Amino acid sequence: MKHGLVLLVLAVAMVLALMAGVFVLVAQAGPNAQPPLPHTLEGREYCLACHAPESFKPVPADHVGRTVESCTECHTTPEAVTPMPIGNEACLQCHQNLDLSMTLSSGENLPLYIDAEAFSQSVHGASHVMCIDCHRFMEYPHPELEAESRREFSLVAYEACRRCHSDKYEQTLDSVHAEILRTQSWLAPVCTDCHGAHYVVDPHQPRTRVSQTCAQCHRPIYDNYKDSVHGKALIEEANPDVPVCTDCHGVHSIQDPRTAVFHVESPELCARCHTDENLMAKYNLSTRVYKTYKEEFHGMTVEFYRTYYPTIWCYKAVCTDCHGIHDIKKTHDPTSSVHPDNLLNTCRKCHPDAGPKFTAAWTGHYEPGKDRAAMVYYVQLFYRTLIPLIMAGILGYIVLDAVRLVLNRRRRREIR
Amino acid sequence: MSKIERVWVYTDAGLQERITVVRFDVRQRIEHLLVTLCTAILALTGLPQKFHDETWARWLISTMGGIEVTRTFHRNFAIILTVVAVYHVLNVVYQIFSRRARLTMMPTAKDVSDAFVMLRYFMGRSKEKPQFDRYSFGEKFEYWALVWGLVIMGITGFIVWFPTKVTIYFSGEIVPAAKMAHGWEALLAVLALITWHSWNVHLRKFDTSIFTGRLSKMEMMEEHPLEYARIMAEETELAVIRPDVGDDTSGGS
Repeated sequence: MKHGLVLLVLAVAMVLALMAGVFVLVAQAGPNAQPPLPHTLEGREYCLACHAPESFKPVPADHVGRTVESCTECHTTPEAVTPMPIGNEACLQCHQNLDLSMTLSSGENLPLYIDAEAFSQSVHGASHVMCIDCHRFMEYPHPELEAESRREFSLVAYEACRRCHSDKYEQTLDSVHAEILRTQSWLAPVCTDCHGAHYVVDPHQPRTRVSQTCAQCHRPIYDNYKDSVHGKALIEEANPDVPVCTDCHGVHSIQDPRTAVFHVESPELCARCHTDENLMAKYNLSTRVYKTYKEEFHGMTVEFYRTYYPTIWCYKAVCTDCHGIHDIKKTHDPTSSVHPDNLLNTCRKCHPDAGPKFTAAWTGHYEPGKDRAAMVYYVQLFYRTLIPLIMAGILGYIVLDAVRLVLNRRRRREIR
Repeated sequence: MSKIERVWVYTDAGLQERITVVRFDVRQRIEHLLVTLCTAILALTGLPQKFHDETWARWLISTMGGIEVTRTFHRNFAIILTVVAVYHVLNVVYQIFSRRARLTMMPTAKDVSDAFVMLRYFMGRSKEKPQFDRYSFGEKFEYWALVWGLVIMGITGFIVWFPTKVTIYFSGEIVPAAKMAHGWEALLAVLALITWHSWNVHLRKFDTSIFTGRLSKMEMMEEHPLEYARIMAEETELAVIRPDVGDDTSGGS
């Protein structure tokens, strides 16, 4: 019985090995393999000797009627002679002409020049992406453009990105940009508006590029940001720790930051960096800010909204309501909204009837101590002393009372 | 003050007079019920706010309808309790100044010595328990603890409810200090209720007098012998001055 089983396993293994061997051999001889060309590559008449429409290996049907002088104008290299793909060189023969352009029915001029050098340095050029990978019209002359304007052309052409970057493309579909594109405006950005079309480079290098990309449309916000503590450090010192736009807003699935959800979730956003011990130690900043905020009235309420009803607007301050959003400054900067000189006005955004003494009600993210919020500290100390004392007294009394009760009952029983 | 109810009942030993003392009038019983209700709801809606990070607190608050509903309940019942407390103070003033009521709740030197005698009795050093008048030292302790608690909770509650109004006159620092005090005082109050109060009137002996208003003669002689003696003495005295009173089973005073 045991021998039978071993033999069966061996037989299966042998069959599998045989099949694998055959598969490898077939795969090597498959259509991907480059057969050595049996002829030179000179002149159209040479080519048509074999590749005439009625011949044994005819030109593709869509090549019929092409009037180029020689097939080799496009099919320049042995590699290119294979049915696919058409090399970028073929396209560049026309498209490296600086003056090449066309007029769209909107009257706009659509330049058709491609800087081959710049393309080759782009991420796609470096990884040998072909023109036709994105522009799928391989036939020449090209089919007529349906787009009436340059924007319309972009909105059709950018769909090509999804063929390789479907994950990113799908993320953008959930973004506020896609929402605006669907419902309000063709001007909302698509892939190519941020990344560029032909000369795509790493969007994170250098880091300042990210914020400058957003600034193309969001200029006033960028101007706020570049004067903020984060923006200044980024632009002036190339600081790698400070957030750029996408660190807070996300990358492809950017959400509308004006919603109730974003409002109540924003403290966690700030906390991602501001609770990081190593990061904050570099700048001598406290990591207790988030904890003290959550223990305090505003933070505690915001936390409840975030957990149970995030879509209802919470009229309690989050980090950005006091510190500013894009224009966050150091707290001791005289232009900071939480600088002692400006704090009252900041409080008054929500507490319009607040007087000058009101600002001291905020303990500035400090935990109560002898130096800071001393009154709070001593109240806490008072109760932390009083409660154990009183409870010890009460419990002691109860124990004595209970013991006496039990003793008395036992004695009464004995008397009986 | 206390009234006496006399009922003749048939027992195995024949016809007997049963004496019941009406210790709390209807007004006092309703007051106690209101304080109980308000305190329970304030604790239920307040403590989860103090311990808002705990799972049970989050569950409670969301079950009660969310943080805003919880706060609304808390503030409304705080108003009711404040009204009860103000009414109580007005009534005490009225009783003392117009009705010339005795200051039965006022702590005296006897309360201190009673407490020591009680402790010695517990430890077997004293044969006799202290004899109490209308209120024992324990009851006075609880009453004044409640007064202290209500004052603290009322003031600090007002401060954290209206921080901008309060800081027109006072330093802003009292707002977080009041919040701190409000939470801790609440904890102290609840702890005292579930220990001192529960032990003395629920566990040690289930005392229903605050609901029925009544204590039997035996209970009075056990728990408030001095008061019982005085009631009896006053009744006799009254019987001399106004002979109609002694026969009246509905009581005089």
